[in-house]
Amino acid sequence: MEFSRVRLLYQLVSHNQRLQTRRHPMFEKNMAMKILSYIFIAFWAVYLVMLGFTAYSYFEGSALEAFDWVDGGMIWFLIIDFLSRFSMQETPAQNIKQYKLHNIPTGFLLHTFLLRMGLQPYNLFWAFFFVPFGLRAIPQFYGMLGFFGFIIGWWLMYVLNSYWYLLWRTLINRNFHYLAIPLLIYAALAYWGIFYDDENQWLFTGTIRLMRGFCQWNPLCWLIFCLVVVPLYLVNFRLQKVAIYVEIAKTEMVKQFKSHNMTFLDRFGVIGEYLKLELKSTIRNLVVRKQFITGSLCMLMLCSLFSFSDIYDDLPFMRVFICVYCFTCLGVMTLTTVMCAEGNYIDGLMVRKETVLSLLKAKYYFQCLMLIVPSLFSLMPIMEGKISWLTALGCLLFTSGAVFPFIFQLAVYNDATIHLNEKLTKTGRDTKVQMLMSGAALFLPMLVMYALVQFFNDEVAAMSMIVIGLLGTVLHPFWLRNIYKRFMERRYANMDGFRNSR
Amino acid sequence: MNLTIEKLTKSFGEKQALNIDHYAIHSGETIGLVGNNGAGKTTLFRIILDLLHADTGCVTIDGVVDGQPVSCDTSKSEAWKAYTGAFVDTGFLIDYLTPEEYFRFIAKISGISDAVMHDRLLQFDGFMNGEILGQKTLIRNLSMGNKQKVGIIGAMLHYPKLLILDEPFNFLDPTSQLAMKYLLETYSKEQKATIIVSSHNLTHTLDICSRITLLEHGIILKDYDRDYAMLNSEIEEYFRGQQSGKN
Repeated sequence: MEFSRVRLLYQLVSHNQRLQTRRHPMFEKNMAMKILSYIFIAFWAVYLVMLGFTAYSYFEGSALEAFDWVDGGMIWFLIIDFLSRFSMQETPAQNIKQYKLHNIPTGFLLHTFLLRMGLQPYNLFWAFFFVPFGLRAIPQFYGMLGFFGFIIGWWLMYVLNSYWYLLWRTLINRNFHYLAIPLLIYAALAYWGIFYDDENQWLFTGTIRLMRGFCQWNPLCWLIFCLVVVPLYLVNFRLQKVAIYVEIAKTEMVKQFKSHNMTFLDRFGVIGEYLKLELKSTIRNLVVRKQFITGSLCMLMLCSLFSFSDIYDDLPFMRVFICVYCFTCLGVMTLTTVMCAEGNYIDGLMVRKETVLSLLKAKYYFQCLMLIVPSLFSLMPIMEGKISWLTALGCLLFTSGAVFPFIFQLAVYNDATIHLNEKLTKTGRDTKVQMLMSGAALFLPMLVMYALVQFFNDEVAAMSMIVIGLLGTVLHPFWLRNIYKRFMERRYANMDGFRNSR
Repeated sequence: MNLTIEKLTKSFGEKQALNIDHYAIHSGETIGLVGNNGAGKTTLFRIILDLLHADTGCVTIDGVVDGQPVSCDTSKSEAWKAYTGAFVDTGFLIDYLTPEEYFRFIAKISGISDAVMHDRLLQFDGFMNGEILGQKTLIRNLSMGNKQKVGIIGAMLHYPKLLILDEPFNFLDPTSQLAMKYLLETYSKEQKATIIVSSHNLTHTLDICSRITLLEHGIILKDYDRDYAMLNSEIEEYFRGQQSGKN
C-alpha cells in the first residue's frame, strides 16, 4: 500500500475511533452520566496525584529508596490496572467487523487498532500518580533525565499490560473460564516472586532493577521491553485475526440447548409462568445474566467478608454497612433496570390484561427468594456473636419491605430498553432517575440503621427495621398494584421510550 | 465480474449448511438467490465475502477492472474489495456515524472526491426519500428501513463491478421497494455490473433478475435462466409443493 493511502486510512480510522468514544450510547441521551463520569475521572486523577505526593513521604527514611518500594510493588499496580480494564477496553475484533466489507485490508486495520491500543490515553492515567511521586523521588538520584526515564518506563509497563490484557480478554470473550489463567499467573508471580522466600524476592528485586535501568536509560531495559512487547503484539495480531471471524460468525453459531419446563413452578399459576420467564431471562440473556452474576458475586463477597473476616469488627459503621449491603446489593443492582429487559417485547406484554402486574409480582418474589443467600451467610456472624439474629432479620425484612418497594418505583419511570445480548458497555443505561434511586436505595437503609444504632441501640434499630420491613412485605400486593397503576398511566410515554431505544 | 464457486462446503456442527460442487456467475448477470429460511443464502454470501471460513472449496472473482484483468480467491486476497460492494446486515454499518459521515468515509477510502460523492448521492435521492440526509441523526438511531437504505447506498456508492445484497427489500416500505428495483435495474444497465441479491420476495426478485438460483438445505436445486412466465409458475409451484409437503 502507498504511504499516502496508509496515512489517509489511519487518519480516517483514528477519527472514527474518537467519534465512537465521544458518541458512546451511555452518554448519548444522558448528560448527567457524562458529567458524572468526568467527575469520577477527575476524582481519581486528584486522588492519584495526592497519593503520589504522600507516598514519597510515607517511604522516606526506610531501608530502601521510596521509588524502590513503588517499583518493587509493580505487580500490584499491574493487577489493579488489569482488572480496571474490563470495564473500558474493548477488543479490536469487536470494532473491525464494521470495516470488514470496506476496501481496507484487515491486516492494516488490526495494526491500526493494536497500535492505537498501545497509545491509548488510558495507559497514561497512572501518570497522575507517577509524575508527582517521581518528581519528589527521582531527580535527586538520577536527575530530570532519570525522571523522564522513570515515567516512560512505567508507561511502557502499562502498554505491555494493555496487550497482556487484550490477549486474555479475547480468550475470555470466547470462554469465561479463561479468566482463571491470568489471575492464577498474577497470584503465582506475587506468591513465588515476593512472599515465598524473604531472602529471594526475585520479582520485587527484578522490577526494582528494571525501573532503575529505565531511570538510567540503560539500553538493556529497552531491549527487554522490546523482547516482551513484540511477541505479545504478534500473538495478539494472530489471535485478533481469528477473533474477527468468531465475532462475525456469532449469529451463525446458534447453540442448541435443552429447554427446561420448570414444571415445579406450575403450581403458582400465572405468577409461576412469569417466574419462569424471569428465570429464563436471567439464564439466557447475556446482559441480564451478567447483571445477576455481578450482583450475586458482590453479595457473596460481602457475605464472606461479613462471615469469615474480622477486619470490620472494630468499626461499627462498617459492620452496619456490610450487613445492610449483603442483603440489598443484588436487588439494587438488578432492579435498577427493572422492566428495561422487557422493553424488548413490551408491546407483547401490554396486549394482555394485567400481564405487567403479574410480572412485577414474579420479579418481587424472585428477589425475595434470593434473600435466602445472605440470610444463610448471616448465620455465621450470628453464631459468632458479631450481630444479633434480630439485626439480621431486620436487614432481611427491611430489604424486602422497604428497599424493594423503593427500587421497584423505577418500573414506573424506566423507559429505555437494554439490549439483551450486547455488552453492558454498549447499551445506553443509567438515567438520572436510575442513578438517584439506586444510590438512595443503597445508602438510605444504611443511614437509617446507623442513625437508629447511634441514637438508641442495636436492638431498637433492629426492631424498628423489622416493623417497617414487615409492614412493607405484607402490603406488597398493594404497593405493587399502585406501581402497576402508575405504570399504566405512563404507558404511552414508556412504550415510546422502549421502542425508540431498541 | 465473474464469480466461480468450486466444491464449497460448510457445516455448523453436524448440520451441513452449504454444499455446492460448482456454480458460476457471469459478468453482467443479475442473480436472484431464493430459498426458504435456513437454505444457506446468507451463509453463501458470508463465505463469498470472506466473513466465514468455508470447510472446503473456494470462491474466485475475476474479470476486467480499468482495462486490467483481475482474479482472486476471496479468502486468500482482499483485492476483490476494491471492486465489490456488499450489504449483508445493519451490524456492518458504522452506526456511531451520521449517514453523511458514513458516505464521506466510504468515498474517502474509495478515492472519490466530495463533489463526485454528492453527485452520486443525487442518484439515490428518490430511494432516500428525504429521510436519510440532513436528519442530524446517528445511523444507530435511524429506523431499520432507513438503516437498510444507508447500507445499500454505502455498498453502491463506489460503483462496484460486483454488488452483493442480502435481502435488500427487507424493512423497506412499498415505495422504497419499487425505488430499490428501479435502482438495481438502472445500476445493472449503466455499470454493466454483476449483481447478486437474495430475497424472500419472489415478485421483486423475478422482476429484476436475469437468472434465478434456488437454494435449499445448502444445495443448489435449480438454476433458471430468465423466462418470466415459466420461471414464475415453476418457482411458485416449487414453494407451494414445499408448503403442501409440510401440511
